[in-house]
Amino acid sequence: MLEKIARPDEIRRWPGDMPVRHRYTPGVAGEAFFSALRERGVLLGSHCAHCSYTYVPARLFCERCFSELSPDTEVGPSGELVSFTIVFRGIEGEPLDRPQTLGAVRLDGADTVLIHRVLEPGEEPIEIGERLEVLVKPESERAGSILDIEGFRRSD
Amino acid sequence: MARRVAVVGAGMTKFVRRAQETGKELAWEASREALASCELSLDRVDAVCLTSAPDAFDGVHMKGEYLSDGAGAFGRPFIRTYVGGGSGVFTAIQAYYTVASGMADVVLAVAEEKMSSTQPHPQGAFLTIFDNVLERPLGPNLLWIFALEMNRYMTVHGLDKRDIASVAVKNKRNAADHPAALLGQADITVEDVLASETLAWPVQRLDVSPISDGAVALVVASEEAAKEISSDPVWIQGVGWNLDTAYWTSRDLVFPEYVANAARAAYDMAGVTEPRKQIHVAEPYDPFDYKELHHLEGLLLFDRGKAPEAARDGVLDRTGDLPSCPSGGLLGVGNPIAAAGLMKIAELFWQLRGEAGARQVPGTPERGVAQAWGDLMQVGTVVVMGRDGGPPTTATRLETPPTATPARSLSDAEFRAATGAVDDAIGAEYEWDAGVAVGRFLDGLRVGRIMGRVCRNCGRVLVPPRMFCERCFRGTDAWVQVENTGVVQTFSICHVSWDMQPLEEPQLPAVIAIDGSDGGFLHMLGEVAPDDARVGMAVEAVWKPVGERTGSILDIAFFKPREGTG
Repeated sequence: MLEKIARPDEIRRWPGDMPVRHRYTPGVAGEAFFSALRERGVLLGSHCAHCSYTYVPARLFCERCFSELSPDTEVGPSGELVSFTIVFRGIEGEPLDRPQTLGAVRLDGADTVLIHRVLEPGEEPIEIGERLEVLVKPESERAGSILDIEGFRRSD
Repeated sequence: MARRVAVVGAGMTKFVRRAQETGKELAWEASREALASCELSLDRVDAVCLTSAPDAFDGVHMKGEYLSDGAGAFGRPFIRTYVGGGSGVFTAIQAYYTVASGMADVVLAVAEEKMSSTQPHPQGAFLTIFDNVLERPLGPNLLWIFALEMNRYMTVHGLDKRDIASVAVKNKRNAADHPAALLGQADITVEDVLASETLAWPVQRLDVSPISDGAVALVVASEEAAKEISSDPVWIQGVGWNLDTAYWTSRDLVFPEYVANAARAAYDMAGVTEPRKQIHVAEPYDPFDYKELHHLEGLLLFDRGKAPEAARDGVLDRTGDLPSCPSGGLLGVGNPIAAAGLMKIAELFWQLRGEAGARQVPGTPERGVAQAWGDLMQVGTVVVMGRDGGPPTTATRLETPPTATPARSLSDAEFRAATGAVDDAIGAEYEWDAGVAVGRFLDGLRVGRIMGRVCRNCGRVLVPPRMFCERCFRGTDAWVQVENTGVVQTFSICHVSWDMQPLEEPQLPAVIAIDGSDGGFLHMLGEVAPDDARVGMAVEAVWKPVGERTGSILDIAFFKPREGTG
């Protein structure tokens, strides 16, 4: 039943797309998180007293016990590096001018980790377990975005 | 032997045009409400069944996993199913068999939909349900499918549009009593519906349910668990689901046989032998007003073509002989697709427990049926629910009817200004191959021939052709040239594009049965005034000049009325 295609350039193909784009709104807890970041430069989490567990960014509910949570627990700005990677190529496979280090950091007071760039790791190799801190952009440059966080840098 | 299964709790959010809550926040609101309604904590839940419509609505790949925490799935067996518009009722079916099989004693069944994230219009996510090679070059609009089906249903049975519009009136009036409703309207009239904008004739604006955000959840339990959790469980007595052919233009557009097949299976399991006597309340799927009628006939509750007059005569009203969509349905409460289907099961639960408040149908209904429809407009999902302990005892009734948990509706300005919002496009682009059968078919069009494939087992000539017969499940046998003429099975006069922008000139999509073949074929009518188009009209293909043909469905410019056939 299969047809033998002798000349691949003769295969007829119909180009097309799925014409959708999206506006992602961050929801009830997400808006509280981004407002606090923009206005006060702080990172808000939600603490579940029942499970003794603190989520960052803030959440409306505890996924473990379903309790309603308040986005009112400040965490960080320092924390512990849980893991990291060094990226040498971009999303299209192109080599990057400078390798980019991404870190997963458990901020002080939080149980979950936050992913962001690790800034200027320098010559000394970065290590899991190291202390890092969040660097937030100056207030005038903050827009209410995850990019209001510049990244993690080594604590002094 | 399957175990008996009951619904013991239900909860839902308000259905709103654009919720501030994320999809998972909506799912959590409905889920915790369902658990609270039967005083259950999350740790009693053994497994979670979730449904939500296309990932492309939310723009989140693997949407089931994304929503899972809001559905209580952390650390539990979890599955997400998706059968298009049929999803909401199907997830109740899935919860049923998860419990009936003994895999779990308590299941949370959750349905969520957030359509408002999709820009410019959620229809963009639906366009690829049309055949990408044979139908999408024609510039289809999802409304075409409904308009074409509605026109044929009306024409074959000689129906009055007023009778069909009375369904939209009934449902929007019913919804005025629903705390979750988006479009409840106590004073709407048939004239309002008939005066609303024509989108794709015969479909008008108020014939259609609204795009919405919302979530619904149920707690489903085994007999043993149900009796422990609740003094008033409502039993899932029968379930059924069934698929029609994937070639929508080849379906019987007048009678939904797939709904009837699903209903027969569910009635058989429930021991229902005379549905018109034994079903006391119905929640058929009503994304469009005619669909409720179409589906009531598919559910074998009315003779074919007779549901519209029942609607006109008040039989379907809350106080009528067969209350239909007492909730207000999709037309009134709203249509967050997957959630809307599960809302119908929740409504039966409340109605059968006597807890529906102002929506309560009179008497003591003992059995109801809920149904939804979807996939490529081809799946029927049916659930029969009942109480076998006689009428509800007043002691178990809630003091006040269940209320919807808040979902906060964002205004346009709030939506645009939401702190932390991100705009993005998935940017998914494709190249679709014609394949073997359609490739040869397109070669034929280039030389002015319409080619079909013969199945010698069932005797059908298939146009568009396929290399296998989906009914006989065997290879088709030979190529055959069919006529360049055909008969219009149904048509629409469409005034809007897929993203609901007005068209300068109306389009005339039609399903055409090509002479010498079996089944229909989507194309456009031309050289005919919209008012002169008729079902049953004889037409012929108008070909592009030979030099302009490319081996595409557009090598046929359109079909025009045959001369001398009147």
